[in-house]
Amino acid sequence: MDALKYIIKRIMQAIPLLIAVSLISFFIIRLSPVDPLAELKLNPSISPETVRIESQRLGLDKPIIVQYGKWAKSFVKGDLGVTSTGEKVSQKLKERIPNTLLLTSIVILLTWFVGVPLGIIAAVRWKTSFDRILTVFTSIGMAIPSFFFAVLLLMFAVKTGWFPIGGLTSPNFSDMSAGRKFLDIAHHLVLPVFVLFTISLAGLQRQMRANMLDVLDSDYVKFARAKGLSENIVIYKHALRNAVNPMITLLGFEFAGLLSGAALTEYVFQYPGLGRLILEAVLKSDINLVMASLMMGAIMLIAGNLIADILLIITDPRIRSKS
Amino acid sequence: MRDIPTKNEQSQSSNSSNLSLNYVPAKNVNIDGTDYLESQAPIGTFGGTLVNSTIGEGPKTFNPFNCKDNTSSIMAGTMYDGLLTINPVTGEPIPKLAKSFSISPDGKVYTINLRKGVKWSDGKEITADDVFFSWNNIIFAGYGDTSTRDSLYINGQLPAIKKVDKYTVKFVLPQPYAPFLRMLSAAIAPMHVFEPAVQKGKKYFDSFLSTNAKPQDFVTSGAFKLKEYVPAQRVVFERNPNYYEINAKGQRLPYLDKLVYLIVGDLNNQVLKFEAKELDIIPLQGAKVARYKSLEPHSDFKLYNLGPDTGTMYLSFNLNNRKNDKNKYYVEPIKQKWFSDLNFRKAVDYAIDRKNMVLNIANGVGEPLFTPESLNSIYLNKNLKPYDKNVEKSKELLKQSGFYTDKKGRLFDKNGNRVEFNLYTNAGNTEREAIGVMIKQDLEDLGMKVNFKPIEFNSLVNKLVSTFDWDMVIMGLTGSPLEPNGGKNVWLSDGRLHMFNMRTPEEGKAGILPWEKELDDMINKGALVTKFEDRKKYYDKYQEIIYNQKPMIYIYSPVLIVAVRKKLKNIYPTSLGGVIHNIEEIWTH
Repeated sequence: MDALKYIIKRIMQAIPLLIAVSLISFFIIRLSPVDPLAELKLNPSISPETVRIESQRLGLDKPIIVQYGKWAKSFVKGDLGVTSTGEKVSQKLKERIPNTLLLTSIVILLTWFVGVPLGIIAAVRWKTSFDRILTVFTSIGMAIPSFFFAVLLLMFAVKTGWFPIGGLTSPNFSDMSAGRKFLDIAHHLVLPVFVLFTISLAGLQRQMRANMLDVLDSDYVKFARAKGLSENIVIYKHALRNAVNPMITLLGFEFAGLLSGAALTEYVFQYPGLGRLILEAVLKSDINLVMASLMMGAIMLIAGNLIADILLIITDPRIRSKS
Repeated sequence: MRDIPTKNEQSQSSNSSNLSLNYVPAKNVNIDGTDYLESQAPIGTFGGTLVNSTIGEGPKTFNPFNCKDNTSSIMAGTMYDGLLTINPVTGEPIPKLAKSFSISPDGKVYTINLRKGVKWSDGKEITADDVFFSWNNIIFAGYGDTSTRDSLYINGQLPAIKKVDKYTVKFVLPQPYAPFLRMLSAAIAPMHVFEPAVQKGKKYFDSFLSTNAKPQDFVTSGAFKLKEYVPAQRVVFERNPNYYEINAKGQRLPYLDKLVYLIVGDLNNQVLKFEAKELDIIPLQGAKVARYKSLEPHSDFKLYNLGPDTGTMYLSFNLNNRKNDKNKYYVEPIKQKWFSDLNFRKAVDYAIDRKNMVLNIANGVGEPLFTPESLNSIYLNKNLKPYDKNVEKSKELLKQSGFYTDKKGRLFDKNGNRVEFNLYTNAGNTEREAIGVMIKQDLEDLGMKVNFKPIEFNSLVNKLVSTFDWDMVIMGLTGSPLEPNGGKNVWLSDGRLHMFNMRTPEEGKAGILPWEKELDDMINKGALVTKFEDRKKYYDKYQEIIYNQKPMIYIYSPVLIVAVRKKLKNIYPTSLGGVIHNIEEIWTH
């Protein structure tokens, strides 16, 4: 019951936060010099009448605060509005979200299943050659910009012909059998997953290693060892449970990044995810689309933090007793 | 009635290009009561796929009447034919869905005869009802994008359309209006599909046949119909089995089974996809041409030079000498004096090194430009001769107007004011930024102080069309090489894009200059006569006025080079039609 109360309290706290985020975002976008009608205005064959009608349709002729009120009202009702070209925002997002989720969830699963164990092993074998070699690799992984790495891999794909140049499916995808379809998507996913995996693996592995080293150095681990417990029990029962706490907070952030974490890589690989959609929307000041994505990002971040906190309560008795 | 240049008038500007000047468009033939078009190209084999690409986020709609962007227009144009199309070699309007057309001697009545027995992709016949409905109930009624309708208001009146019989339609114009002919290439909609949508109102129509529509909802007249649209990835078209063009053996075209447009986000990705053989056709930018030229001999593609493209880059002065509603001049009075001085404008013009810019910015893949009509325009005034940079002449002209330089080489006007102004362009456009840097250098050789300021595109547009607070600007506009009237908003003294001397709607034609008045006259008259020779006279004169008065100084046009895979046959690229103007005739092994 207490837990439920806690969750409800947190959700209530999120509401003013969301209002503030939406207000700030809306005003910043509208106060920027980007004019969604600039291209129309510079097209010799468009009449002033058309420009006027467009400006009315997009609500640009009203004061910003009225525009915001209109947007907020329909947002609360669950209506995300239409894009500047008249398409439904919800439909646009629906087209792209599964693709982005596919990419980011594969990457997150991979990095956590590989990164966490690697971190533990590196910490346990601290200062061995295994640890040192791993440190070199993860340093490279952390240092290389995802954008640059993605371009390098694309050039590799062009030279060898082993991988498709971006996208998610081949042109003849719809004519393929189910098995071939699966392989086709997998083939397209290899490179973008590899880029994101390399980069987030490095951070995660080092974080886990550092946590583990901290814990291994603490008094109770020394005590457990002195007590004569086997090394496996010391590490996996006593040390690991404590070392994993900060990782759970990190997992909350990863959740927030599910929809927005891969934008740059998506762009380079021409991946049909949210990244490209939002980038274009920002450039054209397509307010409803930009607002929808910003709100989505904010909600995901709040939800991620909430989930992490709940997980912490479950895993860590100390926090439970405090709250 | 002719609307095109004759053979001897038409000396191609770029003789070195390998264009297909002898391409023959399909001809009318009647077989068993059906009026087909018969392809004149060699017979090919059926099957195969052509993969093309489009840059950006893909089409916004597939409804031919709602298209506001280029990609959507291409996609809709692939599926819906218009009554007329253009001859890709000469630019002459030729029949497409129409079998033939005629214009009355007074230039007011356009009679369109339709083909008998041709069908929509669902098997229903295409008749005068469809034509009448498309023009009367969609275009003239203001559904979708209204730019076609808006430009057809002649003295506040729209043309009248009349269905004469099942295969004949008449348009009656209140007065002769030459640009109307080319507007007849607007798409014709299947009435049985579009009528229910029209009845649901304009708002519904805006989302009708959007990108969410199912492929089976499309009933088309063009060579292809939609098979699949995958957002941010591709648009796939399949053959329209009822298409009305046949080959010499009587087989229905197109040869291709599928036409694919990959949606690529940027130029770099397009190049990578071409090199990985995912694309069959790619237009090339300046810097890449040399590399592809060296690759060509050992490759599976061929380069085609389509000649100068329709883009025109220019440097413009702000000639505005009026005040805004706060009683403040848009342009400082000192600067007004310089800009309104023809000698000053000419001095700037002669100081600019166009050839150097073509060489260094366009990597040699371009041609210097001196007129507002693009170099491939059928209305280009060839009497306006190009000239080279001439700093001595510039200095002479400045001296005539009382400008002088001090010991340090700084330029002052006769009242002792230092010549200093701002030069704008839109930031992010590397080509225009490079031009700006070179113009700055060229003008500083004359002792002027140029503050070159690339600013964000939207802010620049705002300056040009709303606040008018700029001195000089480097911009580009795309015009039609076939219809100068499309630029009337730029040239008319009360036009919405008359940037070099922009007037607010309230100002009307305030402070009109004598040559602006003459310009108005030429542009207005050019639209009222229908014969090519008569129109050419007016449009020659308009180009001459700009050439002499130099409110806008034209710089250069990039040349369009396209790489096409050799496996594609029946490729006849032309300057006006591009590479796939005859998509139904193209085939592949």
